[in-house]
Amino acid sequence: MFGHITRFEWRYQLRSPVFWIGAAMFFLMAFGATTVDTIQIGSRGNVNVNSPFAIVQTVGIMSVFALFVLVAMVAGTVIRDDETGFAPILRSTRLGKGAYLGGRFVGSIAAALLVLAMVPLAIAVGSAMPWQDPEKIGAFQITHYLYALFVFGLPTLLIMGAAFFALATATRSMMWTYVGAVALLVLFSATRVWLRNLQHDTLAGLVDPFGLSALFTTTKYWTAAERNTLLPPVSGLLLANRLLWTAVAAALFAVAYRVFHFETRHARVAAKATAPDAAPSARRGPLPLPRADGATARAQLLALARFDMGQVFRSPAFFVLLFIGVINAGLAAWFTGEFYGSTPYPVTRLMVQALQGGFTIMPIIIAIYYGGELVWRDRDRRVHEMVDATAAPDWAHLVPKVLAIALVLTATSLVAMLTGMAVQVLRGYWHFEPQAYLLWFVLPTVIGALQLAVLSVFVQVLVPQKFIGWGVMMVQLVAMIALSSAGFEHNLYSFAGGPNVPLSDMNGMSRFWVGAAWFQLYWTAFSLVLAVLAHALWRRGTSTALRPRLAALPRRLRGGALVLGGAGLATWVGTGAFIFHNTNQLNTYRTAPQRDDLLAEAERELLPFEKLPMPRITAVTMHVQLYPREARAVTTGRYRLENRSGQPIDQVHVAWAERLQLDVLELPGATPNKDYPRLNYRSYRLSPAMQPGEARELRFSTTLQERGFPNGRPLTRIVDNGSFLDNTEIVPAIGMSRDGLLTDRAKRRKHGLPADLRPPTLEDESGRATNVLSPSSDWVDADITVTTDADQTPIAPGYTLSDTTANGRRTAHFKPDAPINFFFSVQSARYAVKADKLRREGLPDVDLAVYYQPGHEFNVARMLSAMKASLALFGEAFSPYQFRQARILEFPAYATFAQSFANTIPYSEDIGFLAKLGGPEKIDLVTYVTAHEIAHQWWGHQLVPSRQQGATLLVESFAQYSALLVMERLYGREQMRRFLKYELDRYLRARGSETLEELPLARVENQPYIHYQKGSLAMYWLKEVVGEDKVNRALAKLLKQYAFKAAPYANSTDFLRLLRAEVGPEHDALITDLFERITLLDVKVAQASAKPRADGKFDVTLEVEARKLYADGKGKETESPLNEPFDIGVFSAEPGSAGFTDQSVMYFARQPIRTGKQTIHLVVDRRPTHAGVDPYNKRIDRNSADNVAKVE
Amino acid sequence: MLSIHELTHVYPNGTRALDAVSLQIPPGMFGLLGPNGAGKSSLMRCLATLQVPTAGSIRFGDIDVLAEPATLRATLGYLPQDFGVYPRVSAWDMLEHLAVLKGVAGRGERRETVESLLQQVNLWDVRGKAIAGFSGGMRQRFGIAQALIGNPRLIIVDEPTAGLDPEERNRFNNLLSEIGQTVVVILSTHIVDDVTDLCPRMAILVGGRIVSTGTPAELIAALQGRIWQASLERDELDGARRQHRVIATRLRAGRTVIRVLADGSPSPHFTPVEAGLEDVYFATLLEQREQAAAEAGPKAGSMKAA
Repeated sequence: MFGHITRFEWRYQLRSPVFWIGAAMFFLMAFGATTVDTIQIGSRGNVNVNSPFAIVQTVGIMSVFALFVLVAMVAGTVIRDDETGFAPILRSTRLGKGAYLGGRFVGSIAAALLVLAMVPLAIAVGSAMPWQDPEKIGAFQITHYLYALFVFGLPTLLIMGAAFFALATATRSMMWTYVGAVALLVLFSATRVWLRNLQHDTLAGLVDPFGLSALFTTTKYWTAAERNTLLPPVSGLLLANRLLWTAVAAALFAVAYRVFHFETRHARVAAKATAPDAAPSARRGPLPLPRADGATARAQLLALARFDMGQVFRSPAFFVLLFIGVINAGLAAWFTGEFYGSTPYPVTRLMVQALQGGFTIMPIIIAIYYGGELVWRDRDRRVHEMVDATAAPDWAHLVPKVLAIALVLTATSLVAMLTGMAVQVLRGYWHFEPQAYLLWFVLPTVIGALQLAVLSVFVQVLVPQKFIGWGVMMVQLVAMIALSSAGFEHNLYSFAGGPNVPLSDMNGMSRFWVGAAWFQLYWTAFSLVLAVLAHALWRRGTSTALRPRLAALPRRLRGGALVLGGAGLATWVGTGAFIFHNTNQLNTYRTAPQRDDLLAEAERELLPFEKLPMPRITAVTMHVQLYPREARAVTTGRYRLENRSGQPIDQVHVAWAERLQLDVLELPGATPNKDYPRLNYRSYRLSPAMQPGEARELRFSTTLQERGFPNGRPLTRIVDNGSFLDNTEIVPAIGMSRDGLLTDRAKRRKHGLPADLRPPTLEDESGRATNVLSPSSDWVDADITVTTDADQTPIAPGYTLSDTTANGRRTAHFKPDAPINFFFSVQSARYAVKADKLRREGLPDVDLAVYYQPGHEFNVARMLSAMKASLALFGEAFSPYQFRQARILEFPAYATFAQSFANTIPYSEDIGFLAKLGGPEKIDLVTYVTAHEIAHQWWGHQLVPSRQQGATLLVESFAQYSALLVMERLYGREQMRRFLKYELDRYLRARGSETLEELPLARVENQPYIHYQKGSLAMYWLKEVVGEDKVNRALAKLLKQYAFKAAPYANSTDFLRLLRAEVGPEHDALITDLFERITLLDVKVAQASAKPRADGKFDVTLEVEARKLYADGKGKETESPLNEPFDIGVFSAEPGSAGFTDQSVMYFARQPIRTGKQTIHLVVDRRPTHAGVDPYNKRIDRNSADNVAKVE
Repeated sequence: MLSIHELTHVYPNGTRALDAVSLQIPPGMFGLLGPNGAGKSSLMRCLATLQVPTAGSIRFGDIDVLAEPATLRATLGYLPQDFGVYPRVSAWDMLEHLAVLKGVAGRGERRETVESLLQQVNLWDVRGKAIAGFSGGMRQRFGIAQALIGNPRLIIVDEPTAGLDPEERNRFNNLLSEIGQTVVVILSTHIVDDVTDLCPRMAILVGGRIVSTGTPAELIAALQGRIWQASLERDELDGARRQHRVIATRLRAGRTVIRVLADGSPSPHFTPVEAGLEDVYFATLLEQREQAAAEAGPKAGSMKAA
């Protein structure tokens, strides 16, 4: 019997549309992910598209999507018989409950597995496609596919299947089962946000029913080589997760089995009359007659909209959706802007951005779901014959429904807004800006979702079944995302699309809402056309076929509908033309693939010029006329060019930024030779040629302006309040630079370029000729004038020589008193200023200032004290500070970074200005970032390294190290431990998505995870072992030799040479491991125990396992003997836990650890609770979680 | 006066649901009798503008129904054979909703209509209850209440009493007879007694064709003296079926009572009986079957008795 039921179910499922649609969708999605470069799952960088990692991850992620197929198939089997009314017949046969439930469960799970099997099939087929990049395809291994499907996919299907089988059995309702599925998904994503902090990895790995978190945690530190060869082992966290959820599933299935009865328990009981109350006297005479006038139409519209809205508001599903949405939005808002464990002040902009991320899915679900529900409601409830035979005009079936959805969406968005405000209250922030919520969030959300709702209604009117309509909408959503990532980016054909409106507290929506509003109008007009068509194609009566309705279309499109549709069409076409004029004619529309094409073209055309001798810029005078409200900057200026090449120069090449317009360029003796208009590049012939040592003056004038509005990201560098430009955006460069050309290997292969475009190696001495900050110049004499609107403060590097206001314009003139890098910032905003002075004995005062947005006072004082502490420390440890002033200037949150120019530090409002400084256990992000940027006044503005490998070690890693010194002085070593743990995790995670190759620190090629994260770890451990003063002395010597010097510039070998000389040969191996190799450690405390001694003290025994590995650029590891000192610690509390203080440390010293197993004996005074090797995670350890063990 | 002319409807799968149906229906109750699948509901839907027939025409007074369905709808009340309700919606709210849809949208008129109709159909006391919890009879009474909104001049009622207990059926038929004085009421049913009780005029629809039309009295008169009845043992039934034109069989106290159609006494066992409308109906069905069998030739098997 069981076998028979199973086979019947299997055959039944294979004939159902859900199966075929699901199979097709899954195949296409996985095929797309395998074959389209821009939509990769798990195969970034050097990871193959058919690597076991990519296959397992794709199957894992797709099994989340499989949820909806699963609910339809598995849960449907329980409800099917009740819905068709076949249940009483079936259940009165001799069929047993076990065979009935079991057979159907197995049959439908088997069919669902076949749907999921489309994913590995599509990957296999996709990787065999001829256009695939052969370097991204590994050998075909059937076991990888089977493993992914059966070890990963099948358990998830069984678990989810059992859960929803149980839910369907308990509720006997498809709707509630779907609500359960949505709830699970939302809670799943919420827990992923909630538990994303690394100390929650284990918990996150366990609570995720899909096993994805466990998979990610297990593989997060895997390198490309590992991802290409290894299958995730079913052990540890992954095994625990699978076992836990299988047990939960089995329990749920058992409950379902118990709850399921063939007999109906709660038959409907007919309503009994309430106690008769006073009935109004029965009327005699005819009833009121129906009318069809305007007043009736208005009354109908209102009454019907209210009724339809009531239908939504009274459905339990709505409240469940809303509840889930509120939870999700609340969590997103609560955790927004978290950075190194510290949270920001919840200003309205951050709340809105969090809601845009965490809540937007709810309006989309509501629009699509209720679009379908309201269109099909009358038919599903079999009310349609009654309703369709009424005299209600055709519009009365459509318009009130759309109006009802609009009101429901508005109500939902308002609830999200209240959620954001609730989070603000809970975080103790009482400055409410409801109008900002309404303009930034509610209005655009409702408009976008309503457009989607109209599309959903239109689709539902066309298709023969509600579920097909929903499926079409799902496909539409996925297709939009897929197409835009495949280079079809124009919002003119991406339904309900429009440019993002960047937000900033300094600027609100600035001018960016204008473009968005035009797109909103465009899509609203299109939606109006769709609505008119939906009205004309509305099913009325009993026949649902599309063809007769299409035939009747011209007859039903008459009168008002035709006028409205015509108006909609005209508006749509008109706004479309206007938008096209703005996005494609006033601005350049360029997709990501087109950008890549252009870069490839630039490389082919221009790279040969890279080595041509060019005159160097030695002095810069420029005047920037900023028109913040017009998004325009006009720059006029002159360069002093000097031939330092030692040979005559007969041509000069000029390059300028993509958006920039070069109006004037004059150089004595220069005539244009060749223009590359697409590449913003031009070569000039010099006659007479410039002789060695000769200098000439180049004059130029440029305009940077945004006209109209673009399709993609607008020009955010010039805005009403808070403009921030750097010199590369507004002035021409001399000569060809490889900066910004394609580096991704896969893209380079695709464009037929040589495999690598890399900076010169350390061995290539010609690389010392230019510095990393400015390819056209060495140190320059600068003279910068900035003019802006009178109510704003203009700022650029240098000391203010004059500051005048005339005719509504304010002009400030800046000049440093010594040469600086040709690396300038220009800023203008309505600032508040807080100034201070750093006074030191025997040294000149330094003027300090923070220029900030009024309302962002929170951390200004902290920034000033951090500036003081940093300047004092670095001045003492490295070399004197070269300026008499240092300024921090806030800029809008369109970007999240701080950047150091000469004595001038632009600082994003989102990196520190809003950070909420917590208690001692929180990392003081403001001081850290400030110290890092101040350190760049030395590392970058005193010492500027060559354009070679390792350059960023000398800039970023040194700045990290310097900031760590400040932090350690202020907060002690405990904060370092917390900070370095983040750095270690981020370094290890980032290794796996490397696109080129991982390089040792001394050869880093502008790879942030190496120069920031590994740089911190390596420099800090170096300091720990050899001592801070020795490291600082080596750095001071480096400055002494190379600061403010022109070519040849310093590189990392110079640093290592000085370092080795300073610390002596005994640390040679350490320096090699930290800087010249990719070294990974793996230390583990297998067991720790303590025994009381006769004298009251305790013997502590640690069982330690250790090994050292060297990795190559792809992550392939080879073991090497280890014998080095490690920190050994014994504690009375767990390091990193809340109760851990200095008093918790009972023993802390360094001892040598060697490869293999070993036992360490120690004696401590009291009974310890924890002990470990490298307990503070200072070393680069592949698994830092097992360094400390609980003492038994 | 509703006049139906040569109305034919063929479904996309080829089923000919209506085959050149022509009828003239004057004001008053009109009964449309026919077995399951005869095309009654198709005809009702065409009249209710829910379905566009393949061919033919329908006129109601001066309204060309197929050309101006909206005009007819303004004066139409329709109770479908099978209708559902929205969940969690009370009788009052639902009736109000339908009143709005029908164009009785003003607040006062709407209230007046709903109050009056709920009393008329005796649902006043349960007006606040969800219709989903109503019994079959209450639900049908709600159905007729909604059909009466806005004083329609054409009321179409499709199989309203199927599944109702005798008391509810009575109550429902009383309601119908109250309204069937001045307007056109078409009652489709397969229950002969409904027509007997209510309808001054009637038609019988079989296989999509009108096979008989007139007043019940006329139709009965035509059969008077041709209906014979006998009481048989169960094992004699097959023999009797072969020998006589049996229109109906019925069990009574363990014996089978059969009625046959014959111009003279078929055999001594039979006694003549007074013809009723039921005999008219069954005789018509029998004739149709015989005709169909003759057309189909010897291959046609025996059909089951009605």
